[in-house]
Amino acid sequence: MTETAQEQRVELEVGYAGKSIPRKEDARLVQGEGVFADDVKRHGMGYVHFVRSPYAHARIVSVDVSAAEALDGVYGTLTPDEVADLTDPFFELSTPPGSQIKDYALAVGRVRHIGEPVVAVVAESRERARDAADLVEVEYEPLEVLVDARRAQDGDAPVLHDDAGTNVVWSGTFDWGDVDGALKAADRVVRIKELHFDRFSSTPLECSAALVEHDRGTGQFTIHCNHQMPGVAAIWMGPALRVPLDKLRFVTQDIGGGFGNKITTHPQLTACCLLARKLKRPIQWTEWRTDQHTGNAHGNERWFQEIEVAVQNDGTMLGFKVKALDDCGAFPRYEPLGCIIWAQVTPGLYRWRNIRVEFTQVVTNKSPVAPNRGYSRMQQLWLTERICDIVAHELGLDAVAVRKKNYVRSDEMPYETPNGCVYDSGDYARCLDIALELIDYDGARARQAQKDGKLVGIGIGSTLDSGTNNFGQSTLLNPELQFSGNNEVATIKLDIFGEIVLTLGTVPQGQGHETVASQVAADILGVSPDQIHVRPGHDSYWNSHAGFSGTYASQFAVTGLEAVKGATEKLSLEIRRLAGAVLGGADPDAIVLEGGFAKRKDNPEAALPFMACGAIVNANNAVLPEDVRDVTLNCRYVYVPPFTLPDFERKFGNLTLTYATQIHACVVEIDPETGHVELVDYAAVDDCGVRIHPQIVEGQVHGATVHGIGAALHETFAYDEYGQLLTANFYDYHVPHALDLPEIKTGHIESPSPFSSLGTKGMGEGGGAAIHAICAAIQDALRTAGSRAVVADSHNPPERVWRMLTDPDETAALVEVSE
Amino acid sequence: MSEHTIAVTVNGERYERAVEARKLLVHFIRDDLDLTGTHVGCDTGNCGACTVLLNGVAVKSCMLLAPQADGAEVTTVEGLTLLAADGELNPLQKAFSEHHALQCGYCTPGMLISATYLLSHTPQPSEEEIRRAIQGNICRCTGYVNIVKAVQAVSEGQSL
Amino acid sequence: MLLAELDYARPGSIEEAVTLLAGREDARALAGGQSLVNVMKTRVATPELVVDLNGIAPLRGIASDGGVLEIGAMTTYSAIVDSAEVAGARPILAEVARTIADVQVRNRGTIGGNVCSNDPTNHFPPLLAALEAELTIQGAGGERTVGTEEFFEGVYMTAVQPGEVLTKVRIPAKGDARDGWASVTLGKDGTGIVNVAATVKDGTARIAIGCVAATPVVVTASADETAVKDAVRAAGLDPPADVHASAEYRRHLAEVLAARAVRDAA
Repeated sequence: MTETAQEQRVELEVGYAGKSIPRKEDARLVQGEGVFADDVKRHGMGYVHFVRSPYAHARIVSVDVSAAEALDGVYGTLTPDEVADLTDPFFELSTPPGSQIKDYALAVGRVRHIGEPVVAVVAESRERARDAADLVEVEYEPLEVLVDARRAQDGDAPVLHDDAGTNVVWSGTFDWGDVDGALKAADRVVRIKELHFDRFSSTPLECSAALVEHDRGTGQFTIHCNHQMPGVAAIWMGPALRVPLDKLRFVTQDIGGGFGNKITTHPQLTACCLLARKLKRPIQWTEWRTDQHTGNAHGNERWFQEIEVAVQNDGTMLGFKVKALDDCGAFPRYEPLGCIIWAQVTPGLYRWRNIRVEFTQVVTNKSPVAPNRGYSRMQQLWLTERICDIVAHELGLDAVAVRKKNYVRSDEMPYETPNGCVYDSGDYARCLDIALELIDYDGARARQAQKDGKLVGIGIGSTLDSGTNNFGQSTLLNPELQFSGNNEVATIKLDIFGEIVLTLGTVPQGQGHETVASQVAADILGVSPDQIHVRPGHDSYWNSHAGFSGTYASQFAVTGLEAVKGATEKLSLEIRRLAGAVLGGADPDAIVLEGGFAKRKDNPEAALPFMACGAIVNANNAVLPEDVRDVTLNCRYVYVPPFTLPDFERKFGNLTLTYATQIHACVVEIDPETGHVELVDYAAVDDCGVRIHPQIVEGQVHGATVHGIGAALHETFAYDEYGQLLTANFYDYHVPHALDLPEIKTGHIESPSPFSSLGTKGMGEGGGAAIHAICAAIQDALRTAGSRAVVADSHNPPERVWRMLTDPDETAALVEVSE
Repeated sequence: MSEHTIAVTVNGERYERAVEARKLLVHFIRDDLDLTGTHVGCDTGNCGACTVLLNGVAVKSCMLLAPQADGAEVTTVEGLTLLAADGELNPLQKAFSEHHALQCGYCTPGMLISATYLLSHTPQPSEEEIRRAIQGNICRCTGYVNIVKAVQAVSEGQSL
Repeated sequence: MLLAELDYARPGSIEEAVTLLAGREDARALAGGQSLVNVMKTRVATPELVVDLNGIAPLRGIASDGGVLEIGAMTTYSAIVDSAEVAGARPILAEVARTIADVQVRNRGTIGGNVCSNDPTNHFPPLLAALEAELTIQGAGGERTVGTEEFFEGVYMTAVQPGEVLTKVRIPAKGDARDGWASVTLGKDGTGIVNVAATVKDGTARIAIGCVAATPVVVTASADETAVKDAVRAAGLDPPADVHASAEYRRHLAEVLAARAVRDAA
């Protein structure tokens, strides 16, 4: 497989690929002429306001919309009874009993998280819809609230979904190698009682939004929105609405960030569809910030309990076992995929072979989760990094040395992990060295020794961005699911005037797909990227998408670009066949594409401009010889990565195609009197294989870093015991602002992937490296100051750090080392 | 009075409209005037995506009632483009693109206004001053790194 | 996010504003709007009449006669930051104003709005309490001037009654006093978790602690770390707990930051 892919790797000519060319997207965006979902307007549109639950858990006793409907300017409403009547519950991915959960567009019978939509009101203006919402009377009977996932399986815990009869969405055990043997054979066993990966999310600046139209004559819904995975939205919405999937046309243009938080809005989009049909007018919905924080969506919160690590005295880590408890909030939706996605990076960056994970996912009365940036792998990688640092500290070993001792080595690549995933390429040790150099590691250690008031700490965060999923991993959770493999589509054509038009199946939210796609296509066609018109956004009507199309999971550089390359190579061949035929019966291999012309290699004066090619095929095809009449110059290509179904019994198989690396290092200074952590030096080193647009890659590294810094130091979705979200807006949920951040130094290497023909790897999510690095640095600072406190939580605001300093026993008690 | 007729000059053009007193200036700009470059990103006045110049001063347009802009001059992102014969972008817009200071572009209008305001009174800002100037503008994509670089590049250009 | 229906008025004089505010029970003065508009967005407050003070020129302006600095209530934080009079007479006001939120907020937010909203996390209440400022209130019956202890009554409550308007704040010039400020905030320049203002003169520190009670807590002590911390401890603070900080942590920060504010006083 490796050799074939390497043979197939295209040496791109001219070299737009690899250059940081100006982005096509920028001109409209810097003029404020982007078209975001809330910018879309239609004559006569009605504005939606969702009446949302003020309770975390309650029975809905009654709903009365009569006063709201009577208000001047109100067009109509949608109630739970209507939804239960007109739609079927959304498709659930889990096995029974988790699959029995009923999830609708509005809360039917019960509300299960604060902010859950209960009634929709539509009016002539935003303000009027909001006024009418106050007149909707909903009577609730509050129920006991469950906010701690660790209680979800207790006998006396409230059960959120009677249809399931349990709060467990999914559970299973993954067992690879021989962890019990490793624990017996190990010199030491490090036991960690509990670690907590906190609840936060990337909170894109643009909230979810849609303008939904219903064509009464054809039954066609057109959904102008910012959903990142329209194909998946359709799979949920079509059956729920009882309409064929093609009746759901998704149109996106500019999207103000997604980060996985615009994947589970199908309930609200379904409500909008019902309203558009019922009220016979276009329906406009924009989520408010508070709506987004309370209901859509959070990242997975995960507890790691009863961790046991088998370690040798020299720091070799042999294996570990853990009980993972995932809190997916009130409704699974995209879950329980998070119960397997982590397995793409089971061992982290380390070479241990013996791993057991008992994984359970439960519902709680919190906001449902969505695949937030770093989805599920970030949590697993945080675990392995915490383990590495805790092991190093407990054994009195250097954290850098323990990493280098245990990292998978570059000469072991491609490396098969204990559960059959294949790490394609990478040089972790080298990335680490670059990161340490960027932060002047020796200088930082020297400053640490000086002890001048602030506590200095140095931390490393290693992470992987596994990209291009094999959706067959879903069958490891539920063998009944008919999902496997992956795909992405691109269509490229030469128009009648020779204009090159490229449409993608992806749904970019700032990653610059129009630009990067044009670089790859330009190199194949021998033109400049400016000569390639890439249609912005996504439109189902282009028929340039497939089931898994979208932008998520760090895959565009593989799936999207392979599709672009495939389609463009097809077009190139067609142009050369056509030109060859027209220019004296030459073979396509005797034709070269250069500067917008198809030229004979042996006589460059014999050249056909693209315009002529387009004109002949589109308007003048009777002049064509028979054997090129099949040329359409309209080429669609579906990229399908080379996956097979994983082995259900062994939970074994290749779950992702490529693995980008990021290794971060940081230096912190902790104010011991306040617990405030300041980042004084920060470096991020990435390796995503061949970089088509280095500036875009670096931009993604910056963004992922700051999301991680936010999670580590500033951001948390904190609930009180009544299930009220205390950080429900940007006033209380503090995200990093410009003054909160140090200079972020970057470095890179390129380890081409043997599994993609361009040598690229998907990247972008970033795997939470900043979280791992900052946790490590805080612990390093504490340990160097003589404290035995352990960083046991991913989120470390000043008070938590202060408590670690003043009461180190609380966290020190979580760790125990035995012989 | 709960409805007012206001006259606001936006990007040099005078608009006279009847508005409810409670309408936020940002909604007046986006919905009544169809200038959708100014964005809404939050509901507590923290994100700055709605930043405009009001009589030359950077403010969050979601924190003003539309009638408060009666008689005022407002500049939105649409007013920043220098309209040369071929629709040239201004130096700040060009620098943002050159330095990849935007990814999704949603915070960009507000950032451009805040940066324009900074450079209008501090043509040679330090890095700290640049960060301080955009402290009221949240970005979730770029980590601010390249935004700072873009503003630095323009200020250095201006020194020539 | 969207406001309830309201009436809006923009008076041109203090007298007109006072008449409007006195004429309706549910009238609120609109200063910078950086607090009030937020509160109206969440519908915690739904005034039916908003009286916009931004058109009243006499409410703006900064004057210094050498002994007293007089700041109009509608003076923005930005104007305070840029003011030569403030820099000369009492620069701590500008140093602190510069750290409030961000430039957009500072371009609209006013010192009058900051003190009249009296959110416990605001900057000017403890700062003015430490500096022993005087605040002038005007109503239909005339004008009166009060000190900070009388002015700050409770959470969101001040001595400004319905139908009245704060017109100016008077702060003594620095003289040979030294002023300091220390805070822990939610992110840089963010909402205060605990903030402390201190003025040191002749070896005695006057310290005002914000965010720990309904109104600023003032303690005095000799200007050394131990005495300051003892005085803060003796004040028996009972701070609120919320998502950002526990009562215990706020109590601890109050001591630490009081000592730092005094150290910062220069």
